[in-house]
Amino acid sequence: MFWYHPSVGVSLQLLARLEARRCLKDIEPQLFADDGGPDRGKTELLYHLLCRCVLPEAAGGLEVDVVFVDTDYSLDVFRLASVLDSRLSADGSAGSDDAVLRSCLSRLLVVRCSSSSELLLTLHFLETTLSSRPKAALLLIDSISAFYWSDRSEGGASVAKQEEKLSRCSELLGRLLRDYRITIFATCHPIRRTSSGPPSSSSEADRSHLCRAWQRLVTHRLVCSKQEAEHNPANGDQGSGEQRNRQVFTVHCSSWTGTKGSRVSSFRVTDGGVEFVWTHRPPPGLSVVL
Amino acid sequence: MVALLVGMCPGLDEGLLRSLRAADIRTVEDLVSSDIEDLAQKCSVSYKALFAVRRVLLAQHTAFPVSGADLYEELLSSTAILSTGNPSLDKLLDSGLYTGEITELTGGPGSGKSQVCFGVAVHIAYHLKQSVIYIDTTGGLTAGRLLQMLQTETNNRDEQMEALQRIHTFRLFDVCALLDCLYGLGGGGGLHMACVGGGSVKALIVDSVSAVIAPLLGGKQNEGMSLMRQVAAALKTMAKDFSVAVLVTNHVTRSGSGEAQPGLGMSWSHVPTTRILLERVESGASGRRSATLIKSSRQACLIKEDFDLQWWSRAEGGRGGAGGGGETSGKRKLDETDP
Repeated sequence: MFWYHPSVGVSLQLLARLEARRCLKDIEPQLFADDGGPDRGKTELLYHLLCRCVLPEAAGGLEVDVVFVDTDYSLDVFRLASVLDSRLSADGSAGSDDAVLRSCLSRLLVVRCSSSSELLLTLHFLETTLSSRPKAALLLIDSISAFYWSDRSEGGASVAKQEEKLSRCSELLGRLLRDYRITIFATCHPIRRTSSGPPSSSSEADRSHLCRAWQRLVTHRLVCSKQEAEHNPANGDQGSGEQRNRQVFTVHCSSWTGTKGSRVSSFRVTDGGVEFVWTHRPPPGLSVVL
Repeated sequence: MVALLVGMCPGLDEGLLRSLRAADIRTVEDLVSSDIEDLAQKCSVSYKALFAVRRVLLAQHTAFPVSGADLYEELLSSTAILSTGNPSLDKLLDSGLYTGEITELTGGPGSGKSQVCFGVAVHIAYHLKQSVIYIDTTGGLTAGRLLQMLQTETNNRDEQMEALQRIHTFRLFDVCALLDCLYGLGGGGGLHMACVGGGSVKALIVDSVSAVIAPLLGGKQNEGMSLMRQVAAALKTMAKDFSVAVLVTNHVTRSGSGEAQPGLGMSWSHVPTTRILLERVESGASGRRSATLIKSSRQACLIKEDFDLQWWSRAEGGRGGAGGGGETSGKRKLDETDP
């Protein structure tokens, strides 16, 4: 799936580069949309994914390049570095070597956009970046809904105009997915508070507020929500490590391509990043959530 | 949308612009998204020239990608932690206000948000000897109160004046003036001009940000949300690009279950990196407040600390409360305080 571009010399070379691109754990190229309210662990999940990709194979990573598109200046490099550090030293072999940490961080490319026009142009620019970096396999966008309100007010009364830029971005992302076989993970902030019921029942109401082109592009949706904090009776007043109340988050993953189904996982945020608690599949009788 | 203009880049002359407009290409986005081959045929220009123009425009208008390692290096060298002057607050904030981040104080009326802001400003100006920009949107800032706090730190008139000079105040009462002020500070070296008496601007305090935004929210207009987003973006840009610690205050609303939650809704909730809820303590001296950490990327949430608002006006050698300390002259004078 490539097009013959007159400026690319030999088309065979392009094909070879595309095939050499590392596939991520979940093999086929997918677009994940990660929803959830504030402070519900979405950023931690993103960092978890990031670390998984950039860590060297010896420490359990995939050693691929990651492009991080930051639309609301929310990337916390120190937090990322500390999660990487703890994963590297937990592994034991490499130790927390500064050079290894820097080489992991150099696999990450950060782009900051301040408006949806800039986002659109940057995605175009990323095409050339992706073709020159065959090891880039993951594109993280945090967050795709950052310009929702600016676009709405710029577009005036016409809904089509309001959604125009995001639709163009979605089309472009679709093209990047098909042509470069990358995985895209995007976070989306909801615009109204959802009731705190169990995720599977409220996700019908939780439909994305973004434009139709984006909704068509999404193949998997992970909805994060907070569970009740674990009650820890031995909570000392110093708040030392083990005695802190650990907030548990649940992630409800629903997908509607390939294997239709939904899955629920729970995780906790610790100093070393995200720690999964348990996973279960709902009974087969449950209807698929869209 | 960025409109295409003559002279934007070499090769984009009158003739080319006219033929592009005839083909309905008016903005940079249109040009970049369209198929260059098709367009070259339609406008009867050379493919190479058009491709070169596209490439230059793309390079001019996209964000510059940075490697994670470079970003990390840059942050290591430019990030600083500013102590607030109150050890209990510092413990909650993991040793202080971090530059490059937005910290939010929320609380009901009379919970001490402005007093904390004054105390932080005075501490940074006097002890840390750095400049502070204080944007007051409620009219609660008085130089007299700042001077009073400084007088408990030192008796030297010159030092007091020097510290006061490092606090630059702006009084604004609507969101457009706020945006104007922030853009003015951000661009054109406004921050450099604000550095007097040595020390660069290390803190920006906005008290309160909800006072200018809350009246615009609700109803059918989208303007309010879009302006809120612009304020958030301006604050974040100031914080990250100029390595400044931003402290904002917010009001509270009641959630469905009756507990206090920060105002301005969900769209604002992901803007600050750290959020602290201030509440009055029922029993105890009038200056006691309790601070709860409700959002943080570094510490477990819901840690609570009690602290004394009079900390910043205590005399040397002891915390306020029993004798020796300054008066609680907050915005709202309560009955039981004796001067």
